[in-house]
Amino acid sequence: MRSFSFNPSYLQVTPLALVILLFLLFPVITIIIVSFWDYDAFQLLPDFIFDNYQFLLTSDVTLKAYLKTFFYALSTWAITLTLGFTIAYYLAFYIRSSLLQSILFILCTVPFLTSNIIRMISWIPLLGRNGLVNSALLELNLIDAPIEWLLYSDFAVVLAFVHLYTLFMVVPIFNSMMRIDRNLIEASIDAGASTLQTIFQVVVPLCKSGIAIGSIFVVTLVMGDFITVSLMSGGLSASVGVLIRNEISLLQYPAAAAGAVVLLITVLIMLSILFRFINIKKEL
Amino acid sequence: MSFEDKKAIDGTVDSAPGTNAKPAAGLSRRSFIKAAGVVGGAAFGSGAITGFPLIWAQNIKDIKLRQFGTGVSNLNDIAQKAKEDLGITLELTALDSDAVAQRVVTQPRSFDIADIEYWICKKTFPAGTMQAMDTSRLKNFDKISPLFINGKLTAESTIAQGTAPHTVGFVEGKDSTTFASEPTQWMTLVPTIYNADTLGIRPDLVGRPITHWRDIMDPAFKGKTSILNIPAIGIMDAAMICESMGAIKYTDKGNMSRTEIDQTIEILKKAKAEGQFRAFWKSFDESVNLMSSGEVVIQSMWSPAVAAVRAKGIACKYQPLEEGYRAWGGGIGLAKHLSGLELDAAYEYIDWYLSGWVGAYLNRQGYYSAAPETSKQFMSADEWGYWIEGQPAQGDILSPDGKVMEKAGAVRDGGSYWDRMGAVACWNSVMDENKYMVRKWNEFIAS
Amino acid sequence: MAASGNTQRKAGFIPLTIVFVLFLLFLYGPTATIALLSFQGPSGGLTFPMNGVSLHWFRQLFETQQVGDFGGSLTRSLLLGFAVMFSTALFSLLAGLAYRRKFRGGGVLFYLALVSLILPSILISLGIGIMFDRLGLSPAWYSSALGAHLTWTLPFGLLIMFAVFNRFNKSYEAAAIDMGATAWQSFRLVVLPLILPSLIGVALFGFTLSYDEFARTLMTAGTFNTLPLEIYGMTTNVTSPVLYALGTLTTLFSFTLIGTALLAIWIVRRRRARNAPAAEA
Repeated sequence: MRSFSFNPSYLQVTPLALVILLFLLFPVITIIIVSFWDYDAFQLLPDFIFDNYQFLLTSDVTLKAYLKTFFYALSTWAITLTLGFTIAYYLAFYIRSSLLQSILFILCTVPFLTSNIIRMISWIPLLGRNGLVNSALLELNLIDAPIEWLLYSDFAVVLAFVHLYTLFMVVPIFNSMMRIDRNLIEASIDAGASTLQTIFQVVVPLCKSGIAIGSIFVVTLVMGDFITVSLMSGGLSASVGVLIRNEISLLQYPAAAAGAVVLLITVLIMLSILFRFINIKKEL
Repeated sequence: MSFEDKKAIDGTVDSAPGTNAKPAAGLSRRSFIKAAGVVGGAAFGSGAITGFPLIWAQNIKDIKLRQFGTGVSNLNDIAQKAKEDLGITLELTALDSDAVAQRVVTQPRSFDIADIEYWICKKTFPAGTMQAMDTSRLKNFDKISPLFINGKLTAESTIAQGTAPHTVGFVEGKDSTTFASEPTQWMTLVPTIYNADTLGIRPDLVGRPITHWRDIMDPAFKGKTSILNIPAIGIMDAAMICESMGAIKYTDKGNMSRTEIDQTIEILKKAKAEGQFRAFWKSFDESVNLMSSGEVVIQSMWSPAVAAVRAKGIACKYQPLEEGYRAWGGGIGLAKHLSGLELDAAYEYIDWYLSGWVGAYLNRQGYYSAAPETSKQFMSADEWGYWIEGQPAQGDILSPDGKVMEKAGAVRDGGSYWDRMGAVACWNSVMDENKYMVRKWNEFIAS
Repeated sequence: MAASGNTQRKAGFIPLTIVFVLFLLFLYGPTATIALLSFQGPSGGLTFPMNGVSLHWFRQLFETQQVGDFGGSLTRSLLLGFAVMFSTALFSLLAGLAYRRKFRGGGVLFYLALVSLILPSILISLGIGIMFDRLGLSPAWYSSALGAHLTWTLPFGLLIMFAVFNRFNKSYEAAAIDMGATAWQSFRLVVLPLILPSLIGVALFGFTLSYDEFARTLMTAGTFNTLPLEIYGMTTNVTSPVLYALGTLTTLFSFTLIGTALLAIWIVRRRRARNAPAAEA
């Protein structure tokens, strides 16, 4: 132990620690406290009551919203995983030049520099009843009447999520793939494994950490979202985030805080299960 | 803008009597004419320049006031005009109506002037983050429509249900947060704009006359309707619909009982399950997009949204209905922390707001000005006839940015000011059972 | 150029390329719609049909809008983005260096950083908003919003730094120290150049995440809006294809910027390749 000599790590980690303390721990503590407060139409009333939780945990709105949110999270996860893995696999094993890899990556990030709100608005002319997709399909005589479920539906919500978050899956998986020793793959093929066998028995296990990190990103982003759900479902469905957002906008902070605490606990439980399978610090 | 109007501008400015602050007036005039080029039809009538002695200009010209509100009235043209006339710099921040209420209550120092609706005022004023205004400091106070003073448009009209503006328009004293039942010297909000809302329709696509609120529930329009998803307003539209269907008889739509809320939400849930609604809209813009893209053919809508759809050459009608309108009103109020010169400037600004130019500007967008007679002198006779009196337009009616909104011969949907504001069935409101209503509304959205 | 070196994988190459191109098309679908609609005629709206073709909305972009203030909010968003970018790069580099040694509390802090990363943004926004309210502080984009953004970008940067230092070959550094370099020299001349590309990646990530952040800014921005909030506020009145013009210009601007950067990298590399043999000789 060199406990008496000064460890410069403490100095180096101070900015991070301060940000975490001031903007993570304190706010979360505030939320937990406020979730026990009472409120009326316009102000918070310091108190210690369980009403907010009682309503939250007994209302079937909460249950419905959670089911909906899990549905969004699961379907988005499944699609982004498949798609993200494929893209990452392509970029890692088929593109040899690192410059080209960077260019293709950048190409994938450019759309994200246009404000999300603007991009959301533009789904209407793309997917709407008279939108580009429907007109194209009508033109090609593939359909007789415009498809209604393209917009303002669960389909639209998941589509927007996939659009937003696939990249969060691609990056960590790609990162893991780049660390796979190419000889292992050669060996697998030499040993007579088919491409698919090689992918599922060699590549996937070796990308476990990337897949896990990507999944954490996607699942937590979807769990906490409110704006995508409310815009893409046309306000027709409510996720947990939408309920919290509604309560915030109506100044019912304690109710929102209780909702946030329950959401926080849910997310933490899901993660602790995930962390059982993977030591994130080692696997990076 | 017609030729006559242009002459009218020059006329007013040139013959400006008593412009004792000559350099200022000269400057204003030049920038004014430049502005007129930009804002087109909106700009005529520069009476504000001449009508206002510029003695305050020296003190308040460097003052900056931060105002927030929804995009409905937080217009850059108004800030620009205020700068020209008063020298005050207005820094505008546009927010959605939820965020507006939030800011008033939780960030009282983040604004100087709040531009909010009366039903929001009922919720936020008691929080004590705003100060009441001394009406004796407002020269134009007596020009304000009686609708905001005693709730009666004319002496014989009845007062509509809901949070009528006059019920939350005054407090009992300077530092009081208790709403007064009678007009007092202390005003919470000085009214700025208001309107009577109804359903907007696509006459080319509905295929039959629309006469009642219940028509939105017609199975023929399945998947082609929308209502708005701001609980406090949405529930009122829903109440108008349910009452029209004959399903519920409300004691007071603006203050429902739990049973009435339950019944209303049940009807909405059922309609939603049957796929009656295409979407719910939350912002002005969404309603415009829904209508102009043909996603819906009948929906609750705001008047300028109808105008915006029409401006794209798409037929859209603001359909008057037999049961009457749902009305709303907005006003501007002062932040608690304002004092000294800033407070003087704010009073000056608010008085100016009532002096007519802004009123005319808002009238031309399809809203109503709170001080109708002052705004009249800033509008041409034809405009006044079209927007306020419900007369057929003599020439083309232009929007504030100079586009043709209506061709000659057009008549405003719903007719005159008195026809429309006289047929208000209820005002946007906050109910005693607000908390319960919001929970039920969330249930409806999540169902 | 990618596949040419490897004939045995050519079989999978074509379908995968198709998937990738389709993915790109999907990513660019909204961008393309925006680009198309930004050329709407003066009376056109945010949706199809097109009402003529014009550059009207691009001109409008530089004039005062009916509602809202692009200039001010864009400036704030850019400044905030840069502040987030620099603090993220610096703080995560420092933290990354710190974690190369063991120190007490390191594990707890790491897990807190992870929690910070996965916490729904609305929760952070609400928490910081209420906290400032209760403490009587005024939130502002340069204080509370900056903090809110950092709770999201810093853990990101930290994870990337972890990945970098996990793979970092310590023998380079050891060699430098053996040859008499001070700790600072070995950091500045050996470590920094090696991790610079990743550090730039962290910085760019920080900027992109902050520039478009809506939920975390919602309750922490204070008096003045950042660009995403301003755009949202603008939708409370008639918005026009000006929004699309803004989107199109942003895309074009990013492409130009990236193109320039790539060109610079390419030139540097070529020069290095030319100089390298000479230097060795």
